[in-house]
Amino acid sequence: MENAIYIALSKQTALTDSMQIIANNVANANTTGYRAQNILFEEFISDPRFSDDDLSFVNDFGQYQNSTQGGLTQTDNDLNVALSGPGFLSIQLQDGRTAYTRDGNFQLAGDGTLLNQSGLPVLGSGGPIIIPDSSTEINIDQNGNISDQDGTIAQLQIFEFANIEELEPFGENAYITDGATTPAENTIVSQGFLEESNVNAIAETTRMITVLREFQATHGFIEQENERLLGAIRTLTET
Amino acid sequence: MRSLDIGATGMLAQQTNVDVIANNIANLSTTGFKKQRAAFQDLLYQNIDRPGSTSSDSGTTVPSGLQLGLGVRAGGVYRDNSQGAVQRTDNDLDVAILGRGFFQITLPDGSEAYTRDGTFQVNENGEIVTVEGFSVEPSITIPDDAISIDINAEGEVIVGIQGQTATQNLGQFDMADFINPAGLEAIGGNLFVETDASGGVITGVAGQEQFGRLEQGALEQSNVDVVAEITELIAAQRAYEMNSNIISTSDEMLQTVTQLR
Repeated sequence: MENAIYIALSKQTALTDSMQIIANNVANANTTGYRAQNILFEEFISDPRFSDDDLSFVNDFGQYQNSTQGGLTQTDNDLNVALSGPGFLSIQLQDGRTAYTRDGNFQLAGDGTLLNQSGLPVLGSGGPIIIPDSSTEINIDQNGNISDQDGTIAQLQIFEFANIEELEPFGENAYITDGATTPAENTIVSQGFLEESNVNAIAETTRMITVLREFQATHGFIEQENERLLGAIRTLTET
Repeated sequence: MRSLDIGATGMLAQQTNVDVIANNIANLSTTGFKKQRAAFQDLLYQNIDRPGSTSSDSGTTVPSGLQLGLGVRAGGVYRDNSQGAVQRTDNDLDVAILGRGFFQITLPDGSEAYTRDGTFQVNENGEIVTVEGFSVEPSITIPDDAISIDINAEGEVIVGIQGQTATQNLGQFDMADFINPAGLEAIGGNLFVETDASGGVITGVAGQEQFGRLEQGALEQSNVDVVAEITELIAAQRAYEMNSNIISTSDEMLQTVTQLR
């Protein structure tokens, strides 16, 4: 009998998760290479025994990332790269696995190893990339070839994915996946640029307001349902 | 309500951003100052449903799992080592570096520091020192009877002596460079010290190999672009407000919950 309240509760739980995703998007509005996420809801049919009707709950089923290109900001730092197109740069995690990122904010270690922001080695076609001590200038062309005044050093390893949604966010601007990777063909590297996050502030604010109002509306529904039940109980006990 | 905490991480990160911008603007007129920039990273994700997890007996998999992010943090503060504008001062002991390289300075405790601030002076012994009185490597002493001081593009200090026609070469400034100058640690006073991240010091002389030339009678201004900083400041302030909106909205949702009986 109190199913109506549970259905409304499923909606409120889903809205809370939705709010968390919006909060995370807004918090990461300035994170290099961040991809905004959206939540997916699905209908969850429950078929209670002794009931003629199926009940339909809300389930927050999954999320998908918005794969639109973020804007490029010029930084004039030779160790910054931005990607245009669907590709991802590869970095090596501490446990040896490969992670993928759109964040091309690189730096050099003391021994010349090219590192990302978290201090993890950036992978080239032949493993970690080491810039020789003698390099006085570093050039990265649009295919990701890194060269100095004496010639080519390495090529950035850039991958594309058949299904970008299989990428699992790992934190530290990186993603991991077990899915198949293909070498990048449609990705262009720009040196001296960084890709901003693709979070759209207006869209996030609008979604935030929608979530709040839906949450309040559902709350109103629960209250009314509660009063209806109370009323029913009173009426029944009066006789 | 995790969105309350997430909003807080966003506000903290933007606070760091504003701190960095404020320091850049404060050092707008600091000789040889290099602007800094805060970089952000997303935090860990909470796995509710892993992507690729099985959704039925027949082996169908979930194409996009449910992972809720937990906010943002400031990942690091980076220094932009681009060249600052060079301003003429016509002071004989002002030297600007055009290109890569640092002057080597010996700190009072005997350790080495590096600077791009070439505002030099002469101390009571005639030695060339920084504004703070720290000696510049190698120690060069200007004689009392010198009537002119010339510093050439390679950093040689040449003086003309009263009553002599021939000039005298007193020595040449040592220059230092690093494979990753962004990794140097700033210790204040426009000075930097070597770290593991910067790599070992590479010494040489100005105008050779990777080292830039020197320009006498000029100083390198900071490379802070005030228009860019103000724009960044506006963006940071708006991002801060957006995050505080998230917090107040989450609060309103919680208030709705507490009204439930």
